[in-house]
Amino acid sequence: MYGFEALTFNIHGGYLEAIVRGHRAGLLTTADYNNLSQCENLDDIKMHLSATKYGSYLQNEPSPLHTTTIVEKCTLKLVDDYKHMLCQATEPMSTFLEYIRYGHMIDNVVLIVTGTLHERDVQELIEKCHPLGMFDSIATLAVAQNMRELYRLVLVDTPLAPYFSECLTSEDLDDMNIEIMRNTLYKAYLEDFYKFCQKLGGATAEIMSDLLAFEADRRAVNITINSIGTELTREDRKKLYSNFGLLYPYGHEELAICEDIDQVRGVMEKYPPYQAIFSKMSYGESQMLDKAFYEEEVRRLCLAFEQQFHYAVFFAYMRLREQEIRNLMWISECVAQNQKSRIHDSVVYMF
Amino acid sequence: MAEIYEEGDESMDVNNEAEVKTELGKEGGDENVLQFLDSLDGYLTLMDSLNSKLREGWFDLASARHSMGTLRINSTLLDLKYHPAASTLQVTDQDVESLGSVPHFALSKWASKGGSRKGKDLSTDTDSEIGSPLSPQLRHRGFSEEKPSAKDETILVADEEIKKERAKSLSVFGGLVSPKLRGAQLSFETALETLVEIANMRASMLSAFERITEK
Repeated sequence: MYGFEALTFNIHGGYLEAIVRGHRAGLLTTADYNNLSQCENLDDIKMHLSATKYGSYLQNEPSPLHTTTIVEKCTLKLVDDYKHMLCQATEPMSTFLEYIRYGHMIDNVVLIVTGTLHERDVQELIEKCHPLGMFDSIATLAVAQNMRELYRLVLVDTPLAPYFSECLTSEDLDDMNIEIMRNTLYKAYLEDFYKFCQKLGGATAEIMSDLLAFEADRRAVNITINSIGTELTREDRKKLYSNFGLLYPYGHEELAICEDIDQVRGVMEKYPPYQAIFSKMSYGESQMLDKAFYEEEVRRLCLAFEQQFHYAVFFAYMRLREQEIRNLMWISECVAQNQKSRIHDSVVYMF
Repeated sequence: MAEIYEEGDESMDVNNEAEVKTELGKEGGDENVLQFLDSLDGYLTLMDSLNSKLREGWFDLASARHSMGTLRINSTLLDLKYHPAASTLQVTDQDVESLGSVPHFALSKWASKGGSRKGKDLSTDTDSEIGSPLSPQLRHRGFSEEKPSAKDETILVADEEIKKERAKSLSVFGGLVSPKLRGAQLSFETALETLVEIANMRASMLSAFERITEK
């Protein structure tokens, strides 16, 4: 019953909620980002990060550093935190935490399949995979020629199996089919995660519904903008939108027929939460849209920590860490390219 | 007096001729120097433009990685299958009136597979309407009853082909890519055109310099 989680949550989830709130306190602040923005090179960034939680992960990296090295090492910190929480979790929290990985598993599957299509070495591809999305039979993905084989040989024994029902075809895999597969899988994953959270009920259902609905809406907008001017038809585009969210179903109908960014703006401005996002951009511009969406996401994720005794804090922490890693990647790229004046174009501050 | 005058005339003619030849020689030399300085100015401007375009391209690429994720844009996705080059460069010797034989570089962008060239020489045709659909046209008052000319249709078809080739080369990163990645592609494409212009400008600059040092 909603409102009585305080009576029982701490029995199984109290320790981990305390852990995740401690991790949240270790996220970088605006002062940290200001210091990083003044670095002259990547070694300076490493020096500044040595005083943070990332210090132990970067200290043994030799110079000269590369931006991908910084991202990889910071991601290891995220993975260690996640694994510690997962091994301590009991049901249903462990299933909830597993759901957080499935998005990365989908990305890894698509990376391996795309790389294999381009005749890349499987080992090279596996090294690039996200550690949170690894599973045992991932290397076998290189053998499949179409989606049916992909499912039958490898994915039938993975948690992604239920998501394949809508994209099982015998068509050979090419770049557009793979893209459609990626988005179809992610759509199925989001809907499944949404239903799972609804079943959990309480504050978890309430907060996660809002976060996942925002994710679904953002994906719909990105799919629309990225497919403008491509061979993806309106019907195919509409099939990639999730069946929940603020934009479902009427917003999706209008987004499916958009042919430019201004039409997308016209659709989104009918929804008050998104009107504020699009009001930050001028007409015809889409450069700042990503930052505007990330800022809104961070605002909602930070609000998740205002309530206790629910699982959404774990999801929020993972997403905030990922945003932090994106910020570090951006700052590193700007410093490496001597474009420090552009750092604030894409850094999203959390606290 | 007339005899003296005649002798003076001859010496004056010779002197005048020598002076004219010297003047012409100086003008020719000045012209070569001017040509060299013009080429040098053009070369430096193009280098600056190249630097700016490359910075823009790398920055847009970083923006695209930030937007789409490092897993979607990385070097392991580049295609190792055999495929023909998207652009080719031809080097020929061209006779220029004041400079003699000068190497000329011509870029063919987005040449199709199979060797048939659908691309065009963009290094010399910078004012061409192909690839620039916004080029100025005559304004007609009232409703124009002129039908689209065959040339306009050819331009539109060529534009569509180029758009398809661009999308095809970006498809290694997926079917749906961020507009920032497309922006990066355009920046690098412009940088490639600028490089070819720099090569031509450098060739004419070196040729002008040789003519100056010969004299």
